[in-house]
Amino acid sequence: MKRTILVFSVFLSLLMIQQIKAQEKTISGTVTSAGDNSMPLPGVNVIVKGTTTGAQTDFDGRYTINASVGDVLEFSYVGLLSVTVTVGTSNTIDVSMEENLEQLDDVVVTALGIAKSRKSLTYAAQDINADELNRVKQTNPVNSLSGKVSGVVINRSSSGAGGSVKVTLRGNSSLGNNQPLYVVDGVPLSNPTGGQPQNTFGDINGGNRDGGDVLSLINPDDIESLTVLKGASASALYGSAGLNGVILITTKKGRTGSFKVDASSNILVESAAYYIDLNDRAEKDIEDFFNTGVTNINSVSLSGGSENAQTYFSYSNTFASGILPTNNLSQHTINLRENATFFDGVLTANASVLATTQSIDNRPVSGLYFNPLVGAYNFDSPGERLSNYENFEELDPNRNIQSQRWFRATSDIEQNPYWILNRNASEDVSRKFLASMSLKFKVNNWFSVQTRGTYDQTFLGFEKKVHATTEATLAPPNGRYIFNEQDIRQLYGDIIATINKQFNNITLSANIGTSTTRTTLEVLNADSGTNGGLQFANVFSVQNFNANPQVSIFQNSLDKQVNSVFASATVGFNEKVFVDLTARNDWSSSLPSGNNSYFYPSVGVTGILTEMFDMGDRISFAKIRGSYAEVGNDLPANTVFPERQILFGGGLSPLDPVRPLGEVRPEQQRSFEIGTEWRFFDNRFGFDFGYYQTSTIDQYFQVPVSTGTGSVTVGVNSGDIINEGFEASIFITPIQTDNFKWTSNINFAANDNVVEEISNPSDDVQIDNQVISPPGVNTFASYLVEGGSYGDIYAQVVKRDANGRPVVDAGAIVINDENPDNTIAGLEKIGNANPDFTLGWNNSFSYKNISLDFLIDGKFGGETISMTEAIVEGLSNNTQRETTNAPVEVVSPTGTVSTLTAQEYYGLVGGRNGFTGEYVYSATNVRLAEFALGYNFKLSENSFFRTIKASLIGNNLFFFYKDAPHDPNVSLSTGNALQGVDVLGLPSTRSWGLNFNLTF
Amino acid sequence: MKNINIICLGFMLLSVFSCSEGLEDLDGNPRNITDEQLAVDFQNVGSLYKPMFENIYQYTPPWSYQLQQNLNADVFSGYMTNPRPFVAGANNTTYNLVSGWNNFIWSVPYSNVMNNAKTIENETKDEFPELFAVSQILKVTAMHRVADVFGPIVYTKFGESATTSEYDSQEEAYNAFFTDLEEAIQILSDNIDSPRFTAFDLAYGGNYESWIKYANSLRLRLAIRISKVAPAKAKSEGEKSLSHPVGVIEANADSFFVNGTLDHPIKTINNSWGDIRMNASMESILVGYEDPRAESYFNMSEVVEGAFKGIRNGLPLLTGYDDELAQKADYITFSLLSDEVLTPSIQLMTAAEVYFLKAEAGLRGWTGAGGVQANYEQGITASFQQYSLPGVSDYISNTTRTPIDYVDPVTPANNIAALSDITIAWNEAATNEEKLERIITQKWIAMFPEGQEAWSEYRRTGYPKIFPVVSNQSGGVVDTDLQIRRIPFVDSELQTNPDGVANAVTKLGGPDNAGTRLWWDTPGGNF
Repeated sequence: MKRTILVFSVFLSLLMIQQIKAQEKTISGTVTSAGDNSMPLPGVNVIVKGTTTGAQTDFDGRYTINASVGDVLEFSYVGLLSVTVTVGTSNTIDVSMEENLEQLDDVVVTALGIAKSRKSLTYAAQDINADELNRVKQTNPVNSLSGKVSGVVINRSSSGAGGSVKVTLRGNSSLGNNQPLYVVDGVPLSNPTGGQPQNTFGDINGGNRDGGDVLSLINPDDIESLTVLKGASASALYGSAGLNGVILITTKKGRTGSFKVDASSNILVESAAYYIDLNDRAEKDIEDFFNTGVTNINSVSLSGGSENAQTYFSYSNTFASGILPTNNLSQHTINLRENATFFDGVLTANASVLATTQSIDNRPVSGLYFNPLVGAYNFDSPGERLSNYENFEELDPNRNIQSQRWFRATSDIEQNPYWILNRNASEDVSRKFLASMSLKFKVNNWFSVQTRGTYDQTFLGFEKKVHATTEATLAPPNGRYIFNEQDIRQLYGDIIATINKQFNNITLSANIGTSTTRTTLEVLNADSGTNGGLQFANVFSVQNFNANPQVSIFQNSLDKQVNSVFASATVGFNEKVFVDLTARNDWSSSLPSGNNSYFYPSVGVTGILTEMFDMGDRISFAKIRGSYAEVGNDLPANTVFPERQILFGGGLSPLDPVRPLGEVRPEQQRSFEIGTEWRFFDNRFGFDFGYYQTSTIDQYFQVPVSTGTGSVTVGVNSGDIINEGFEASIFITPIQTDNFKWTSNINFAANDNVVEEISNPSDDVQIDNQVISPPGVNTFASYLVEGGSYGDIYAQVVKRDANGRPVVDAGAIVINDENPDNTIAGLEKIGNANPDFTLGWNNSFSYKNISLDFLIDGKFGGETISMTEAIVEGLSNNTQRETTNAPVEVVSPTGTVSTLTAQEYYGLVGGRNGFTGEYVYSATNVRLAEFALGYNFKLSENSFFRTIKASLIGNNLFFFYKDAPHDPNVSLSTGNALQGVDVLGLPSTRSWGLNFNLTF
Repeated sequence: MKNINIICLGFMLLSVFSCSEGLEDLDGNPRNITDEQLAVDFQNVGSLYKPMFENIYQYTPPWSYQLQQNLNADVFSGYMTNPRPFVAGANNTTYNLVSGWNNFIWSVPYSNVMNNAKTIENETKDEFPELFAVSQILKVTAMHRVADVFGPIVYTKFGESATTSEYDSQEEAYNAFFTDLEEAIQILSDNIDSPRFTAFDLAYGGNYESWIKYANSLRLRLAIRISKVAPAKAKSEGEKSLSHPVGVIEANADSFFVNGTLDHPIKTINNSWGDIRMNASMESILVGYEDPRAESYFNMSEVVEGAFKGIRNGLPLLTGYDDELAQKADYITFSLLSDEVLTPSIQLMTAAEVYFLKAEAGLRGWTGAGGVQANYEQGITASFQQYSLPGVSDYISNTTRTPIDYVDPVTPANNIAALSDITIAWNEAATNEEKLERIITQKWIAMFPEGQEAWSEYRRTGYPKIFPVVSNQSGGVVDTDLQIRRIPFVDSELQTNPDGVANAVTKLGGPDNAGTRLWWDTPGGNF
């Protein structure tokens, strides 16, 4: 050990440039921000008053300065109140700096975990603290962002508790991934999904299922704050993964001297609330069919620490039973975080472990296959109730087997819903293990080196047991077994050197580093198939598969590594102007070796107007900012040189895999943003306004070519998708007295998307469109078309005469043919799934111990199709309007007018492949998204508990306005496909609950 | 010590990270197979044959076969009918063509046969020509079927461009088929003892003599197909086969079957899904002839106990039914196909068919064809033998039985009188036209369940006289009595290769719709 320290000291002294004067002593310490969200403050100026001796705090808020006893040290930092301390006998002076009430939220964690003063940011970043996030707790904490951060569009999955979430920052730009990167405590999180639905019909291999995401595996109570970095400028340092923006999650850690236990318990009761209007009989059946869902989230955390070591430990569990019978979730999460400092603060170590296990029975599916809602919505048997079929099986004496019973012959899409739930049952299992460690060496007071590493493992399992006598398209006579396991591992390591230095009036904060990310995927899939079958009925194991090529058994292994070097520098001039530069070069294994290196820079500048000019008392703070960034992007593993696949028992995959037509280039995004931030009247009122434009070019498109070429599809770099938009957030405190306070936040964002170019004119292949949602055999699709927008939706439209009457020929409705320019394969563009603008209005009232919070969340513009309604009107006569609507006037091609009853008309236009153009609704909706009424119990000083808070909470309580029968905020897929359509997705729910928080 | 290690590790990492070393070998999926691994046991060539064999008439998955042929040629040929009126009765069988289905007729053979043949040609033509020859025979087997559906196809210029492709007219394609078969026959004759193909052969166990017989028979089939439109070429090609020393298929043992181990795709469609049943035309002819093959091909129906019962072609969503499934529930009780005919072996050319081809060749005066009546009767005999059925001599000599009128026990509106009174026994005194009807009617029975060839021959000759569709939703494009003549070019080609398709339409010589006759499909009498 001695030798270690010796060598270590030699190493350090080589790097030290500090001069040591006689008679002075070295004083060191840490500067942190005060309050609950205390964190180290880098870049704080420390000067010995009356002298030119100065220092600046490092990355960890640590400083060292030479001073004599009696000297006065002054600590200053824009946005915080200056602190002065007289040097005494102690060599350590730790300082906690209070917020200057003229400033808010002054330190923000940016890319790679680098803390920066908010004022120096040259791009938009918005954060949200734990209280606001968890006020109305959801199983996936990201759902709670909706309406609270401008420019974040949240679409929940329709798959109930434990479902994934689609987050869109500044619009969609890619045919690949459009989701932001999640970063936990500075390190990118691997966020694989077990798959997302692709088409409206459904997946015959287990239904249109949501494979979940990693966010639902995080305990919301472990989150201290969330910061949203919206644009590429903010995230350029993360490289391609940060192309779509970054959501930074800062987790809680133990604090010096503060030992406490927090416990919270949350119970939420939900009911199916937003679905199609059924007739009285069907409505009664469906109300009986859906259960009342109950979600119970409990968590307990212990935290505390000494000066040199702090601990945070938490355990949480979630038990939920969904509105769909038999749908249950159980989840357990533990999180342990340790921080320690050694050698008088020279070395800081931080280690954390997160482990989660989640199991979901019968995660709801959408689409037509394996979906109990088909039978539930369309049940129509005279004199019978759906509940008569809760007893879903009966003995078939010929086979000596329990076989399915239903009121009519089952079909591929319609079976007894209770049979599906009990005899086509599925189970999803997710496990996450995330271990990370970081070490920081403080070389001297302005130079430090940090290294970090994480091991991030996600296991996703899926199992479906399809019993014998399930409909023959879905399973052979002896049943079917589907088994899938995915093991995704990500190893991340980085080394970052940080410099914080001041030269006269110029401050420099610079980082230079290198990182490596290795991601591996192992998949094992076994499916006895729709024809291969099982040897013995209802025995669900791989050894029971019939040994033939119609069963599918495969393994998949993918490996990808990206190595990077990067550097960033923020130069401050007199605290008035800050210039931010970043540069990064990536080498990716998924690109061809000659072309696998790509470089991209960003530059930004911000000016603090209130520092530059005297703007009077009313303006507390004002700044302007602007930045430009380029970010490169590689491809998924095994895209460029794929091999042939071996088929189980069936030779090789027939075709050559998709190969690039020419040389593959990395994709690129260029983005530009400007913004301004103002605060007035001692921060009672303020706003932040920004404009951005991004252009995504050279995407790797897979383009179909003539089969006569020997290929079906080739890959080319092509396209240019442009997003531009405005974001604004406004905060105001209209009333503030000793007892009463009202604060209000408004978040607004508008995004406009244009597909500028699909085909590069110089390429050999010209493409008219790229498919986002394939139509399959149903009449809904989404295409990217030059001049169109991402999210355009296409439907089959009724031909109408000059008076708007539908044209009917020989008993069939005629397809509109008057808009050929906007028609692809018989489907016409009828709208776009994305909102024109979003508006969230958050209000908090507090009176003494009582608090009231509510969030009104609005999305304006956009369209959505209810294929659910079309299907129900096609398969049964169960909608209300089929019974009550007035007859419809129709016209023959020769002009003869006749009438059809509503039932006849909707019978003709309905169906999965019917006239979906008749089922288009405005997606505009305004809802009371969150409601919380809380009471903070007053406790005596010597009470065992430190705080007790109870609140009544509500979620998705009602819509002020909504046109569609379903909730347009819910998506069938959290990938790119199936936006703006509902195909028998689980109805959105309204929930009420109670929340208790205890601290002792 | 620990700290030093970490520092050292740190600097090591720094030096390793900042370069791209080792990245090249990472990309890829080790569960897949590389070109080097594929070269072992010559699988780079050998593994390509199985998909070719199994996708001429697609073996698996059944739903893909259903679209490739079962809801097309198998119905148009009068062999089978779907009890469920898919797409509310607006589908291929009612001439309301579903382009999404028809893509499979095109893409399945291109992706699995043409592609593989091209690779085999590149790898073997010089070194192992006999392997190339077998591949050429398989290629012609698959592609003449595609040409017989669409007319012009991409054949001689396949794979020449990376993005678009040029079509041959059907005549150019047929000429290329003859050239390719001639070359293949020559190569195999020169290498007749080579055992090289045995391991990959799903038809003849590597016996090239059988392959030559098959290639000669296939050439005869194609020659007969063009006998009206190009009689001289037909005669010369046909006579090459008839005079070849190895000859054509004469015994059932030499029939061309693809021997698989899976269920026949129609077995799943028929038994599990209940999506295909006996066609009314089959019932009319087999029951009218009291043909013992009826029991080999079909089961007795449930709807009329103890009787075979077929369904009319082209049923719409009939009045009185709420939806497709309700209608299916009634028609699913009609005659199923029998498991006896749905063996794991896919029948593509039988000895019986070859006898009937020779009979027609004789009728057309081709040298070497043999006696017309003898070939006709041997054709029936070979077909009976194929199913081990007795009583062939009584059957052959029957002069009274004719196709019967059709009765639909569920929807009487579908009842229809038999369209022909053709009998079984040969009548030397009959006109050539009547003789041809007799030959083709028997060939049609014998070729069951291979609907593609039956539909082609129906279009060429007009025989047998199968019932027209109940509902014709082609908007006047297809004449109900003439029935459907082809399938339009597929969407995937229209989208990716518009110039190529436009050129193909000029070579088609008519509008790109289902009413346009193919090159070999000439109107008027057969003689």
